[in-house]
Amino acid sequence: MNKFSKIASNGLIKENPTFKLILGTCPTLALTTAAFNGIGMGLAVTFVLICSNVLISLLKKVIPSNVRIPAYILIIATFVTIVKLVLDKFIPSLYDALGVYLPLIVVNCIILGRAESFASKNPVTDSALDGLFMGLGFTVSITLMGAVREILGAGAIFGFKLWDFSIDFFASSAGAFFTYAIFIALFNFILYKIEQKKKLSLLEVK
Amino acid sequence: MAEFKFSQSPHIKSGNSTRKVMINVLIALLPATIMGIVYFGIPALLTILTAVISSVGAEFVYELILGKKFKSILKRFDFSSAVTGLIIALISPANYHLYIPFIASVFAIIVVKMLFGGTGKNLVNPAAAGRIVAFISFTTIMNNFVAPNIACIFDNVITGATSLQSLLFDGTRLSTLDLLLGTGVAGCIGETCKIAILVGGIYLAIRKIINIIYPLIAIAIAGLVAVMLNGFDFGVFLPAILSGGLIFGAIFMATDYVTNPVSALGKVVFFIGYGALTSILRHFTGYETASFAILLMNLLVPLIDKCTLSKPFGYKKAKKEAK
Repeated sequence: MNKFSKIASNGLIKENPTFKLILGTCPTLALTTAAFNGIGMGLAVTFVLICSNVLISLLKKVIPSNVRIPAYILIIATFVTIVKLVLDKFIPSLYDALGVYLPLIVVNCIILGRAESFASKNPVTDSALDGLFMGLGFTVSITLMGAVREILGAGAIFGFKLWDFSIDFFASSAGAFFTYAIFIALFNFILYKIEQKKKLSLLEVK
Repeated sequence: MAEFKFSQSPHIKSGNSTRKVMINVLIALLPATIMGIVYFGIPALLTILTAVISSVGAEFVYELILGKKFKSILKRFDFSSAVTGLIIALISPANYHLYIPFIASVFAIIVVKMLFGGTGKNLVNPAAAGRIVAFISFTTIMNNFVAPNIACIFDNVITGATSLQSLLFDGTRLSTLDLLLGTGVAGCIGETCKIAILVGGIYLAIRKIINIIYPLIAIAIAGLVAVMLNGFDFGVFLPAILSGGLIFGAIFMATDYVTNPVSALGKVVFFIGYGALTSILRHFTGYETASFAILLMNLLVPLIDKCTLSKPFGYKKAKKEAK
């Protein structure tokens, strides 16, 4: 149980792929114009991440270390193709919205990074959990960013019109960088404050 | 930062302070402001008030949040945020959409200036950045210019393309005198009456706040580049430099001490770049691009500074050691 909570907090907060590791910035910047895109992209990445982590963890003794990167890419690409075909068939609107960023999941640094640094060293269940929570951390982060940019840039949330006022700056790519920077700053500021409080309370106990 | 003046060594002590400089800039902006209010009436006045109050307010609120005492903020207050607010208002069109100058001013002060460390530490000109955010965000409103006409106060207000836009799109030109005085020219509040801007510029030059040579270089280069882009038609020279915000930007925005290169050569490069970029971008986009050109050149300043460093007296270049 301890290990479980450690992996969970690692994926969601301590090593949050978007705001802490700054990985996968390309879809983060391009797709956060709407909150729904964030959920779609996040869940697609989560699925690929879990599957590839499990498979790589299973095959970690088989794959020679010299060719591990091509082998990982091959495994990841297989699952991305599955996701792509499924989305194209069943949710074509999301498939169109994600566009080129769906096949680009193959080279998403989060997935390759977790394969390299976690799945190739840890047992299968841990790797699956790591994939799940890393993916959820990514999903929550880009959905939040998408929500903020959608509210400010389009005056809507999840496609529902809220009001007629919009600041187009937040819908543009400059606004994407701006929102991203503000989010990273706030996330790290809050984490820093919490850690400081923890340290203070530890000192008082002693 | 108030005690520092940006120049190359050797340094000499002077009684100048940021506050004095900024008050002088405010005085220099006064003619353009008055002419703007005369031409555009109440909307112009409201826009100016909103922008100035919200930028000064934003600076105070930010410092109060940081936990500074109100008295110490007041003591350190150097009017630079008031200048930023006034410039933002003068380069916006006059209308009743007062949230636009508000958003532009707050963005300029909080994001561009205060987050980078306050006066003297901003990377780019806050007013230019604030205007660009407003320009990108509210494209239709920001491009809907009102033609100033004193008779218009009683009539319906004419809206339409600016002289710059009609120059770029249809090739129609207003008379040079009209452009110089700003009568019947649609445009931003402070940018229409060039005479008022030039008066302000001459005041600044007399008080030695700016060196008038550099803005003149920028304006001349912009005109020449426009002539070249139009197939060496020298009739374009005057309309090109008298339209839009080129002169205003050259005198009041590009001369900002903080975002200028240090050396004289660097400044020349900076202003040539500003003039040329303004004309080139105007030609290919069809929009007023003076503030974009200022922003781009501001970002190049560290590079220009590095390339135009002068050699210290008696300095010899170290020979490369043979490997």
